[in-house]
Amino acid sequence: MAGAEKPLPRPAPESRAFWEGAKEKKLMLPCCDACGKFWFPPSQRCPHCLSSNFDWRETKGEGRIYSFVVYHRVYHPAFEADVPYVVAIVELDEGPRLITNIIDAPDRVRCDARVRVRFEEADADVVLPKFALIE
Amino acid sequence: MIEPSPRLRNRCAIAGCGNSRLGQVPGVSSLDLLIEAMANALDDCGLTAKDIDGIVTRGPDDAYCHHQLIGERLGINARFSTSLDNGGASQILAVAIAAMAIDAGLATTVLCGYGRDAWSRTHRSEGARVRNLTRPESQHAQEFGPEFGYFGAVAAHAFGAQRHMHEFGTTREQFAEIALAFREHATRNPAAQIQAPLTAEDYFKARLIVSPFNLYDCSLRSDGAGAVIVTTAERARDLRARPVLIRGFGSFNNLSGWFADENMIKTAAKESGEAAYRMAGIGPSDVDTAQLYDCFTYMVLVQLEDYGFCRKGEGGAFVQSGALRMGGSLPTNTSGGQLSEAHVEGMLQIVEGVRQMRGAYPSERQVKDAEVALISGHGGNQVCHSTLILGRA
Repeated sequence: MAGAEKPLPRPAPESRAFWEGAKEKKLMLPCCDACGKFWFPPSQRCPHCLSSNFDWRETKGEGRIYSFVVYHRVYHPAFEADVPYVVAIVELDEGPRLITNIIDAPDRVRCDARVRVRFEEADADVVLPKFALIE
Repeated sequence: MIEPSPRLRNRCAIAGCGNSRLGQVPGVSSLDLLIEAMANALDDCGLTAKDIDGIVTRGPDDAYCHHQLIGERLGINARFSTSLDNGGASQILAVAIAAMAIDAGLATTVLCGYGRDAWSRTHRSEGARVRNLTRPESQHAQEFGPEFGYFGAVAAHAFGAQRHMHEFGTTREQFAEIALAFREHATRNPAAQIQAPLTAEDYFKARLIVSPFNLYDCSLRSDGAGAVIVTTAERARDLRARPVLIRGFGSFNNLSGWFADENMIKTAAKESGEAAYRMAGIGPSDVDTAQLYDCFTYMVLVQLEDYGFCRKGEGGAFVQSGALRMGGSLPTNTSGGQLSEAHVEGMLQIVEGVRQMRGAYPSERQVKDAEVALISGHGGNQVCHSTLILGRA
């Protein structure tokens, strides 16, 4: 299975703006005009108040690690060279939580540690928002 | 708020139960495993398929209208039949819906069950083994997961374990005690998929899967099925097997998601359990044995807290007291559970609860003087929960 490629996101229609933003190194999320709250994953109505009036807004790109795990088992051959790697739930300061990677060494990662977004090119057209510890 | 109705307390009973061969059963489909378990459940209480007028099942994720396939194989039509979509919480929900259908006069005798071929399915090819393919790929996430190397249920639950360790100081030694206790139970269960004793040394030498979980924190990949027959308590008394009363049931679903709020460390077992306790008219101190959904060691620990067997954050100390072992304060997963008997998505927990309430096991497997069993189901993207309370008749 050598040479396997990592899966790329296959965006739903409602999340295209998230990935377009990432290509420009902006962490964009939907934010409700009616109640002012951000949400994730993207959808066409605010899950807090069901308003359909919203904008895509850039977040600060900072937050804390709510929880994390370290993959030791290879679930997909393209990640064989990456193990052990960290997958985390990052809670942005704006509220929403996202699945991402922490690019630091696994033994340095802790719950509640502060992190900042670090954009990484997956290929010519796709940029992934990963996170790094704030020193 | 409308309270769970005590009218349903002890209204129905489980009249019969059965399981199929468990573990590695190559060459047999999940449907045929389930029919095997259903035939055993019918035989257990002396009924035939023609006596069944209701079916509630949950299919494998790639089966459409599963209850129809079951009726076809049993050669029966049904006054009431459906199949459910709450993952591992479906199996108890099936029993609850059966009791509600009987109470509503829509059926008299309902067959509930679940079967899977997860061992065979994940051992068809090297690719299937590596990717752990128990679900069709079309149901996998398309974004916000796989591109970050996030796959599988192990990691989803390991997130909860990690946060619980951070907030409450829970340790891997405490997870180990859960794996060891259930394995000890499996050594007395001749049907269990794995019966070899497990030591703490074995546990800590095992390879990490997705830390904080290692191999022994994870449930088994199993082929197998279980089935139960629900009818009125009155009718159940006239059948061959000793009936077991359905004292109460409940459910709750944290549909906001496993990652939202504190759902990973304060699970829907809390509200689901409270509903079941209210219907049954009892509390946690009345429960003699628990059969908990143990897809991972951590899920046992957090449910013990959420069901009120100990306080929030004290699940680790509770298990380390030896509570889960035979002779402990709450013998739990006395068949070995999904960690050691076989993982059939909570269905075998119901079967074991019924058998404990019949009180007919040899003494080394029987929870002494047990009158009340609490059984749990968990699944559906980790947020669906169901609870069943059974009582000795």
